Amino acid sequence: MDFVSELKNILPGKVITQKERKMPYTADASYFTGNEPVAVVIPDSVEEVKKLMKFCFSNGINVVPRGGGTSLTGSSVPMKNSVVLSMSKFDKVLEVRPENMYAIAEPGVRLDDLNNGLKKFNYFYPPDPASSVAATVGGSISTNAGGLRASTYGTTKNWVLGLEVVLPDGSVINTGGRILKISAGYDLTALFVGAEGTLGVITKAILKIWPIPEAIGRMLAYYDSIDKVGKAIAKMKELGIIPLIAEFLDRITMDSLERTRKIEFPKEARFALIVDVSSTIESIKDLMEKTKKILEEFQPVSITVTTDPDEMQKVYEARKGAYSSLLSERNNENERVIIGDIVVPASELPVTLLEAENQIKAHGLKVALFGHIADGNIHMNIYADLSDKKQMDAVDSFQSTMGMIAVKHGGSVSAEHGIGIEKKGLLEMQSREENNEDELLLMKNIKKLIDPKNIMNGGKIFDL
Amino acid sequence: MEERSLTFDLVELLKEETGKCINCGFCETVCPTLEPSGYDLWKGARGRVMEAKELVKAVESGSEPLRAGDSFYSCLDCHACFYICPAGVNAGIASHLSREIITTQHIKKNENPTAAMMTSVTMKYNNPLGIMKKCASWSEGMEFDRDSTDLLFTGNMYQLMSYEKGMNSLRGMMGKSLTLRISSMVSKHPSLIKLSPKPKDKELDKKMSSSLKNIVHILNMSGIRLNYLGGNEPYPGTFLYDLGYIEEFKEYAKRVSDIFHKANAKRIITVDPHSYDLLKNVYPLYVENFDFSVTHYLDLIDVPLLFKERNITLHEPCHFSMRSPEYTAEIKILRSTANLVMPERSGKKSRCCGGPDELLFPEISEKVSQERYAELEKTGASQIVTACPICFSNLAKSEKVTDISDFILQSVLL
Repeated sequence: MDFVSELKNILPGKVITQKERKMPYTADASYFTGNEPVAVVIPDSVEEVKKLMKFCFSNGINVVPRGGGTSLTGSSVPMKNSVVLSMSKFDKVLEVRPENMYAIAEPGVRLDDLNNGLKKFNYFYPPDPASSVAATVGGSISTNAGGLRASTYGTTKNWVLGLEVVLPDGSVINTGGRILKISAGYDLTALFVGAEGTLGVITKAILKIWPIPEAIGRMLAYYDSIDKVGKAIAKMKELGIIPLIAEFLDRITMDSLERTRKIEFPKEARFALIVDVSSTIESIKDLMEKTKKILEEFQPVSITVTTDPDEMQKVYEARKGAYSSLLSERNNENERVIIGDIVVPASELPVTLLEAENQIKAHGLKVALFGHIADGNIHMNIYADLSDKKQMDAVDSFQSTMGMIAVKHGGSVSAEHGIGIEKKGLLEMQSREENNEDELLLMKNIKKLIDPKNIMNGGKIFDL
Repeated sequence: MEERSLTFDLVELLKEETGKCINCGFCETVCPTLEPSGYDLWKGARGRVMEAKELVKAVESGSEPLRAGDSFYSCLDCHACFYICPAGVNAGIASHLSREIITTQHIKKNENPTAAMMTSVTMKYNNPLGIMKKCASWSEGMEFDRDSTDLLFTGNMYQLMSYEKGMNSLRGMMGKSLTLRISSMVSKHPSLIKLSPKPKDKELDKKMSSSLKNIVHILNMSGIRLNYLGGNEPYPGTFLYDLGYIEEFKEYAKRVSDIFHKANAKRIITVDPHSYDLLKNVYPLYVENFDFSVTHYLDLIDVPLLFKERNITLHEPCHFSMRSPEYTAEIKILRSTANLVMPERSGKKSRCCGGPDELLFPEISEKVSQERYAELEKTGASQIVTACPICFSNLAKSEKVTDISDFILQSVLL
């Protein structure tokens, strides 16, 4: 009996083999298209995941776990001779315990759904990647997703207390626990965060949750230089004001929003800065006043302050709508907006952005910049015609150059999108540049130890 | 040559629609059919766009297309995907165009036999089940004004619901493969429909008839004298258009338009959102001299409605909330009669009732309707009001569910 027939016998009714049904699993939100998978499996129990892994382990077949399919680096794109494992049916929130500050969720729960459910407890789960409407608990853990709120709350790794994981050979381990502290040997939970499904299949996650801030105030300030934006944020932090979010948009992005969404921005503004601060109801006004004063110190072109939810929403729409505005200005169907994702220490951001501007010119690309300024994360939105080899080479070169600029400033080639297929080369470059190749070697050795047959999402993060 | 150019235009349109897609997957989160299909991606919005891209490639290169028909036919056409897409893609339109390509290119292996059957029966009998006369039985004993230029157009939509329910029970008993075989036979020989049994859900039939009578009553109270075509009233051709049989639809719509002209109609008063949307927005694109004023009866109500302290909720029809979001007459009327508590998903974020899949994918349709009913129930409202016979038929899972015509009449009589 061939592999697929046997798989169907082991997991009756859970295996998709028709070409047309498998086709949508060949891609995720990145610009990579993978191979047609051997089969797609949609299990609905841990037992079935175990059976699948055991079978694939004994047959040496690669397994590609898939959550919301929102990876921007190709983490969930199938390589050759792979089975796609869709975790979509693991879509339940199993437990919410605000008194212990945790919730237990299955990996297929979408982040926005999780937070909608937590709202009634007046709690939330802070990681908020821009794709939170579609991104899942399992996928966001696997890429150590960040988001707008990362400046205050950090990334996903700060919010995972424990995991249930099916290992490549079909055995199951539980890491961490329903506890906020644990000091019992190696932190294996951390090992699976950001592993992009290369070490095992997450089947359950214990997540730390946090009370929703009582009051939020929003400010929108415009500046004529990024230097001023950076300095204003640095001063805020110096004085102990950590913004809940601090987002910047460049002029290209503002122009795009003006054209497509009819949002007007001051002509003199080169950068827009959106800052949220959070506090208690009693002290929010004071905090906003203090923040406003700091922002004003650096001569903004103009500044708006609000706690009105409708007004706040309007401002937020500008940031939220930035990407779709850029998308609507593509020239043809082959053109994509590839999102770069580098990070530097926040203090290095202004100088990094200046270097980015030079590199954009040098590479002859159209690039819009926005990102999370408080944690030094820059998203370079590069217009690229996928069918134009010359342009794609320029994109690769630009991404590599920017990655190395980030490393030079003490940063990294990936802040919150993971490595996937896209940044394998960049990760190696970063290792070499930092003279830290042993770290990458150790990662590979860990992979070999846990997945000796290299069947867990092989070909992602690095090649063995 | 005309067909070739039509196909070329369709392919270009489909390329344009799908070319904008960045594969982000946001559309999957609002697509009502994805979860009920067991998260089988080809029956979700992103999967449909990807399948449509493949269809374009196959048509352009002349290669064998994938058997992706079910992906496109299972789309509910609610357009919820459009409102969440950052790139402005409408997977509903992509599915619609794909269905058009399937029919105009005669890609048989992608055609749906039930769709083909309903098309050929409609073309032969002006009604998808060949029961035009039976569809007028609700009006027995009622008086209409044959000289009026205001034509009441039910489009047989309310009337067909009870037959659809009955036929689905029959299909359940026959099984899928026998149903498909019979559908194929009837699509080739539409007169066979006359021989096939047409069981109907009697309870639903009574309710639907009562709603139609209420509509006439309300319009009469509003001072409108109506003409009605009775047993000669045609079906509007919704299936033909929705399922992609555009050439047939063009011919059929012209036929319907001629019937309207012959009846000296000036204003067509529709009673359901599907016919309203089709006649108002689609007919003028396909029929020359379609010079009628198309309106919905809710726009014409001119009777004092009384407010009563009670909580009600509304399931908005997709053809209003998402396809014609500017149309809000039903909301205004309900707000003037009760406390309207909208469900969590409403307006442009509303959720389809699953109705459009009832004949082709009844399992998906049932699951979607259960989920939507639970959301409406969650509002705690004493009544769940619908403004479309398809929505009513799919959501009528308790006595709480009321057609808006019945609700309005209650509010008049308070």
